[in-house]
Amino acid sequence: MALSKDVYKEFEDVVGAENISDDPAIKDAYRSPDLTVILPGSTEEVAAVIKLCNKHKIPYKAQSTGWMLFAPTYDFIFMDLRRMNRIIEINEKNMYAVVEPYVISAELMAELFKRGMICNVKGSGSTCTALAMSGHGHMGMTTSTGDRNDLATEWVTDEGEIVRLGTLGASDEWFCGDGPGPSLRGVYRGGGVITRQATKVYHWPGPSEYPLEGLSPRYTLSKKPSEMNMMVRYFSFPSIGKLIEAELKIGESEIAFELMGFCPSMVSSNITTSNEEDFETLEQFTREVQGPGFMVIIVGNFDEDFAYKKKVLAQIIKETDGESLKAVEDPDAEATLLFQCTRVCASIRETFRAGGMFSSMMVQGQRYDNHVRWLEEAAVLKRELIEKGLVIADDGQQFGWGEEGGHLGHTEIFCRYNPYDEKSSKAVQEWLAKVGKRALDGCFAVPSMGILPVDVIGKRASNYHIWFGKLKEAFDPNGVGENTGFSYVGADTSGVHTSIYQKPEKASPKK
Amino acid sequence: MAIEDYRGDVEMCCRCSACKHIPLQMVKGVEHSYACPSIARYNFHAYSGGGRLLIAKEMLNSGFKYTDKLLDIVYNCQMCGGCDTSCKYAMDMEVLEPIYEFRIRCVETGHTNPALDKVINSLRKQGTMVPGAKGKRAAWAQGMGIKDATKEKVDVYYHVGCLTSYDKDYQKLARATAKILKKAGVDFGIGYENESCCGGRAFQMGYKDDFLKQAKKNMDMLKKAGVKTLVTGCADGYQAFKVLYDKYNLKGDLEVLHITEYLARLIKEGKLKLNKKVNLTVTYHDPCYLGRLGEPWIHWQGKKIPGYKFVFDPPKVYRRGTYGVYEPPREVLKSVPGVKLFEMDRIKEYAWCCGAGGGVNESNPEFAKWTATERIEEAESTGAEAIVTACPWCEKNFNQAIKESGSDLKVYDIVEIVEKAI
Repeated sequence: MALSKDVYKEFEDVVGAENISDDPAIKDAYRSPDLTVILPGSTEEVAAVIKLCNKHKIPYKAQSTGWMLFAPTYDFIFMDLRRMNRIIEINEKNMYAVVEPYVISAELMAELFKRGMICNVKGSGSTCTALAMSGHGHMGMTTSTGDRNDLATEWVTDEGEIVRLGTLGASDEWFCGDGPGPSLRGVYRGGGVITRQATKVYHWPGPSEYPLEGLSPRYTLSKKPSEMNMMVRYFSFPSIGKLIEAELKIGESEIAFELMGFCPSMVSSNITTSNEEDFETLEQFTREVQGPGFMVIIVGNFDEDFAYKKKVLAQIIKETDGESLKAVEDPDAEATLLFQCTRVCASIRETFRAGGMFSSMMVQGQRYDNHVRWLEEAAVLKRELIEKGLVIADDGQQFGWGEEGGHLGHTEIFCRYNPYDEKSSKAVQEWLAKVGKRALDGCFAVPSMGILPVDVIGKRASNYHIWFGKLKEAFDPNGVGENTGFSYVGADTSGVHTSIYQKPEKASPKK
Repeated sequence: MAIEDYRGDVEMCCRCSACKHIPLQMVKGVEHSYACPSIARYNFHAYSGGGRLLIAKEMLNSGFKYTDKLLDIVYNCQMCGGCDTSCKYAMDMEVLEPIYEFRIRCVETGHTNPALDKVINSLRKQGTMVPGAKGKRAAWAQGMGIKDATKEKVDVYYHVGCLTSYDKDYQKLARATAKILKKAGVDFGIGYENESCCGGRAFQMGYKDDFLKQAKKNMDMLKKAGVKTLVTGCADGYQAFKVLYDKYNLKGDLEVLHITEYLARLIKEGKLKLNKKVNLTVTYHDPCYLGRLGEPWIHWQGKKIPGYKFVFDPPKVYRRGTYGVYEPPREVLKSVPGVKLFEMDRIKEYAWCCGAGGGVNESNPEFAKWTATERIEEAESTGAEAIVTACPWCEKNFNQAIKESGSDLKVYDIVEIVEKAI
């Protein structure tokens, strides 16, 4: 956005000349020709910037670490929160950590490991923000979903008011998100900027630091995982029914630190260091597995605990006709999967390396029954793309994992492809729309990730988008805040810009 | 190769931000988690490896727009390759090569940095990257009885390098090296006034033609003198002779060794005995151009196989920083009686840069000093008394940062430690 000199100066006065730019080169790196990029360094600066946005009726968007290339398509103030990268507190006694938005999960996890603790790391990986928020991670069996982990939160509203939520609203404590101060848990995801947040942390029975050795890209552990009371296995099953039975049993028995429904391609991506090696390994794995599978990580608190968990796992696998993939039993492969998947450094190899991009549809909630049935249909459609040579061949496999001991789950299917290959790109978008619509029409799940317009989804989900629209108007009367693709697209929010991803042709008429 | 040849690579950037940090498994906490000084100092995504690729992509599509800010981004990068190594932990794509080519394009189109122009003018006039250099290149060698390798045949040619030759504060490194080689009984010589700049730092600054002129000049001289083995104590020089000359098919069969590699060999062969005790706790700083960027060049030519995968025919083998020179300097230090080595958080292929690379010490001394200060603090956190490096440019930049920060940390080149032990 080309701000007038006077208005630019007002923003500059908040953050300093070094932390604001509308130069074309800066904007190119944010993939938009129409931005003014601002780097606030504190909650107060965020609030001041938003107040100026309200004063001048200028839309804004804030981003923490960012991930993937979502290009904004219209002009606004873009707040990159990179300067807000401090861990405020790690409270071992009350089991939480307070972070600013640009603390990455790798940093927080490393600090927590030293204290015998871990946090939830989102599936996008540990280059991403350690804020709790939404986003499911590999360790959901132990840490549950992202949105179960947020505690007290400092939030700047779309009008620039600093609001302290949960216990922070009534004291200086961060231990609860819902009181005795105000709880706006269901609201703050839809607008404003989270500037500090407490996230839950959990017990970690593993080492305070992995004994890593070797050089990039092939790090390994100087100890065998079993010497640290840890074990990684990949099991495949003769049918999806057997896989689900095994998952449920493992969840009920509470023996798994992590259960990740990796497909073989995700295993091969993680243990290999180049595309060629990856595709070769995948071919081998595809031949060896008997059907759908998952990866399990067992971590013992002590020798007897480790032995018990292994024994229970063996019994469950026997009862469900599971077969262990031999390649993963190799201590080197096991070690790589262990540190990749507990520190969650895994996502880049398995998503981007092969073709440069992936597009995904995920469903969150109950993993079993409906979701898996929908996935089987989605996989059939994906295989058509594979046969046409439009996406990476991985047999159309889905993946997912159980959360909270298997009570909840995350299920996902994605296509990896070259986004600059027009045919591939078009085919993937059509596939996504098709599987999204099928999820909705078949009452299998509510599709996410902006696959369908929210008003299409909202009509099937209690018209929640209308209610969100009303909240939006109340919290953002000047319409400067971001409408996330999840909440407001298509809702009756006259005059409000409606998505960072998609600019509407014209504003909807006010009802 | 030109920036256009890397279109596929720049398009592969998925904005995961791995380029900003050291490989994620190696992150040991909220401190020392960054690999890239430029993004750590300047914060806008444009200053990261990925941001630079996104700029390149946009400009390849819609033309180059040379603004002051663009040039600020281009030249505020030490070309240390930290982004490249971190990215290639997970990805198959080039990061540093397109960044080099982008800078070369800036220079070729006249969009240079005045401070770097001054350095290059010195190179063109005097054959050295030390502007204002006075006196003879080999003045340091006076009275040492070192052979002139251009006049008589020697087993080893010692390439001294610009800074060590001309900067009076660092000539001690040349003298120490000569003393050690003599002690080990090595038949070596230097080029005296026939030695010229390797050109490596000119390449880092984007002046490719000047680099090539220097490379050809040097190789002509070395071939004429019948040199088979070249040893240098400068990391930039090492990378130029070993990697860049090879990249441009100029190296031939010349064996190129860094002094740390050569000393480790001499110690192993029993030709160099380190007997004197040096009671010192040290930490070792891996120079970027000896470590991750000292990895041999891989000659490859091929084409992307059309379609959805980023694969090539024949398969492309990437330089990922795996085969840099990491162990020899550590072996040498461990061979010195009394020296205790403590490692920093960021080492080997994911070491933090000293700040002097890419011409930043000339174009933006404040940024060079900021980067060095970060490293000094990291070194201090190990509890070591001294930071030891293996490149005069690193040593100089650390010394400058320490002078202003008031730190008690001592700075040594590895040859100074060895000199104490013989």
